[in-house]
Amino acid sequence: MTATVTFTSGFARKYTNGVREFEVEATNLRGVLREMEKLFPGLGHTLEEETNVAINGELHETGYFQAVPPGAEVFFIPRIEGG
Amino acid sequence: MNDSTIVTDSVKRFKWVGTRPIRPDGVPKVTGRAMYGADLKLPGMLYGKILRSPHAHAKILKIDTTKAAKLPGVKAIVTASDLPEQKNEFIGPERVAVNFWHVTRNILAREKALYEGHAIVGIAATSASIAEEAASLIEVTYEVLPHVIDVDEAMKPGAPLLFEDMIPRGLTEPNPKPSNISKRLEFSMGDIEKGFAAADVVLEKEFTTAAVHQGYIEPHACVAKMEADGQGEIWSSSQGHFQMRALTAKILGCKIGDLRVTPAEIGGGFGGKTVTYLEPVAALLSRKSGLPVRLQMTREDVFKGTGPTSGSSMWAKVGVKKDGTIVAADAVFKFQAGAFPGSPVMNACLCAYSPYDIANARAVGYDVVSNRPKSAAYRAPGAPIGHFAVECVIDMCAKAIGMDPLELRIKNVASIGVPTIAGPKHAHAGFMETLQALKAHPAYANPPTGPNQGRGVACGYWFNGGGESSATMQVNADGTVLVATGSPDIGGSRASMAIMAAETLGVDYNQVRAIVADTGTVGYTHVTGGSRVTFATGMAVVDATKAVIKDVCRRAAMIWDVDPEGVIWEDGFAKPAGANVGDFKPMSLAEIAGKAAATGGPITASAGVNAGAQAPGFGAHFVDVEIDPETGHCTILKYVAAQDVGRAIHPSYVEGQIQGGVVQGIGWALNEEYIYNAKGLLDNAGFLDYRCPVASDMPMIDTILVEVPNPVHPYGAKGVGEVNICPPMAAIANAIESAIKTRMTHLPMSPPRVLAALDGGK
Repeated sequence: MTATVTFTSGFARKYTNGVREFEVEATNLRGVLREMEKLFPGLGHTLEEETNVAINGELHETGYFQAVPPGAEVFFIPRIEGG
Repeated sequence: MNDSTIVTDSVKRFKWVGTRPIRPDGVPKVTGRAMYGADLKLPGMLYGKILRSPHAHAKILKIDTTKAAKLPGVKAIVTASDLPEQKNEFIGPERVAVNFWHVTRNILAREKALYEGHAIVGIAATSASIAEEAASLIEVTYEVLPHVIDVDEAMKPGAPLLFEDMIPRGLTEPNPKPSNISKRLEFSMGDIEKGFAAADVVLEKEFTTAAVHQGYIEPHACVAKMEADGQGEIWSSSQGHFQMRALTAKILGCKIGDLRVTPAEIGGGFGGKTVTYLEPVAALLSRKSGLPVRLQMTREDVFKGTGPTSGSSMWAKVGVKKDGTIVAADAVFKFQAGAFPGSPVMNACLCAYSPYDIANARAVGYDVVSNRPKSAAYRAPGAPIGHFAVECVIDMCAKAIGMDPLELRIKNVASIGVPTIAGPKHAHAGFMETLQALKAHPAYANPPTGPNQGRGVACGYWFNGGGESSATMQVNADGTVLVATGSPDIGGSRASMAIMAAETLGVDYNQVRAIVADTGTVGYTHVTGGSRVTFATGMAVVDATKAVIKDVCRRAAMIWDVDPEGVIWEDGFAKPAGANVGDFKPMSLAEIAGKAAATGGPITASAGVNAGAQAPGFGAHFVDVEIDPETGHCTILKYVAAQDVGRAIHPSYVEGQIQGGVVQGIGWALNEEYIYNAKGLLDNAGFLDYRCPVASDMPMIDTILVEVPNPVHPYGAKGVGEVNICPPMAAIANAIESAIKTRMTHLPMSPPRVLAALDGGK
């Protein structure tokens, strides 16, 4: 099932040659990471370690188990820490 | 604490959720029996002391401990040379990236002292006075270097460099030179130029804010006991004992499993106790001496040696149409990181516009080092600073077009589906409901009308947190229940956990005891911070409770000789699922627990979660002030704070969180600041000169709890601890402007500054 993966412009400049959006086939976040790793070796690990993820706007830690519904917008963002 | 207004559309009624039972930690605290970090005394325990730098910036040429070591009673002396070197690399996510090369140097300075109060040497002796005397005998030879305190000064070419080889990250220019700028960030959406071109009114302003401390009452303290086999125990007051364990192990170069950390009762943290300062030094001293060592800070140590939140220099620009539509916003946030990189500037960039639907926006952030203590998290770190600038300019726009400031915000609410500047779309409602609730407050229709009086409105946004938490439930033989979590209780989480467990289990709240367990007793739990505990740890507690329910139903089935599917759990009793199962008298938890041995042994269950889909917090405040034109003093006449709280598990605690955040915001707005002299030394390292608000400064702060439940959480909880500190500074600045028609752009807006502004305006 297809999901749209989106990065911030700064992240895209650093890791994906400035390309911000990708279409990937995945049903969970593990699948998304695997697909991104195929496109840019090392990126899957970077995403896992350095980002949070918003799936259809809902914020999560970047865990394999997160379900990715069909047509979902998967937005990787910098991880946040509170006080 | 008041009984607040609770605005809710909830039709679901709970027995315990939403009630106000007596807090379980109350009696030990008010009777002085609670054990804080400095209260533990072990047999043979030594007393530690940290010798700190008297200079803002200096090379450390030599440390001579000979005389101190000869002093009778001195058992161990440690310096940075006793700690393993760490790699100079950033590990982990950008905002929270940790560079242990920096961390170890903050714990004990190596090549240079980078701020007054920087820890240089640790000493352990048989008494505090001997440790003090030993510190005075240590001879440190410094080469004093030029220093820089102010963020704008630190960014200038030619400024004294803290790290001669630090190349800024994120700059667009080629081959950047070494600088105090650690990194530059930029977030944007839409077309900023086009947006401003479409505006009828465009206003901009520069702002500065002072560094302010979290102001927790209890100074940092810990006791460490390291054994000859490398195993160790630490008792420490922190916001996360798992975090303290991991950081201490990394700094010492030992295994995480070699350390067990027990959380002490904590006397406030507000983000500042997510950082380790003392634990590795105490452990090192204990390892060297073979005896337990207690280290505790004085108030002066806390001010000089621990992280306040960043001071800042900012610029914000907002464009609106005459009908109040915000069409563009732009801002630059320059944040003091302190002596090592890592200010919360990214949060300012990401939160400042998030309450609103602004199609064209940009936020640029700079993380800048200077000769101040390393900044630490403070309640919604970074967000209140950015909100101060942007909410002030929004107020200027409202006044320019003659629109009520609350109406302007209502017009621009970011509803579900509106993108944030980070990219993701809003997935939760709550802001509109919060604004409407504030508008409906009876006092909103009656703004102050006296001379030198005025009203201000401001709003705030904070992400709130989720993440990893663990909980364990044990059912005792008499049916009482123990809930153990790994979340240090700062804001009343023991009561909230007990309420959620009692509600889920269907038993009396007083039957449940919630404790904060050590790292050896409960699973990994992330820090108490980010307004995450009631949400994430609460989910772990509910999961563990459900596992216990499943187990006791199975045991009841065994007792009744029926299939497990034939038993349901209802209102604290096991009952037959239907008439066909049989005619059995409902069994209580106590009855089933009484047969625990016969039905399989102890009744216990644990759960671990990585909680996601947390909802953000929205806050909207209004404040009425009166300015004394003779002194510049600002009196808070009335303060009303509305906040989307999801569902208030224990409303009194939620009110307390809101009132506490507002009080801290008032202090930030009106009085609190780090004052440095020409030598780069802090002149007000004590509560006498660093003016926190006290009860007599405060009016009753009215709270409005707006309940828009988060459907992901079993009881609809959202984090409530942080967003309340986002609006006060701008709300008060906006009120002062209404009162005296002068825009204050520097925090704190202390009486001398207000007086100067009044004089300047004449």
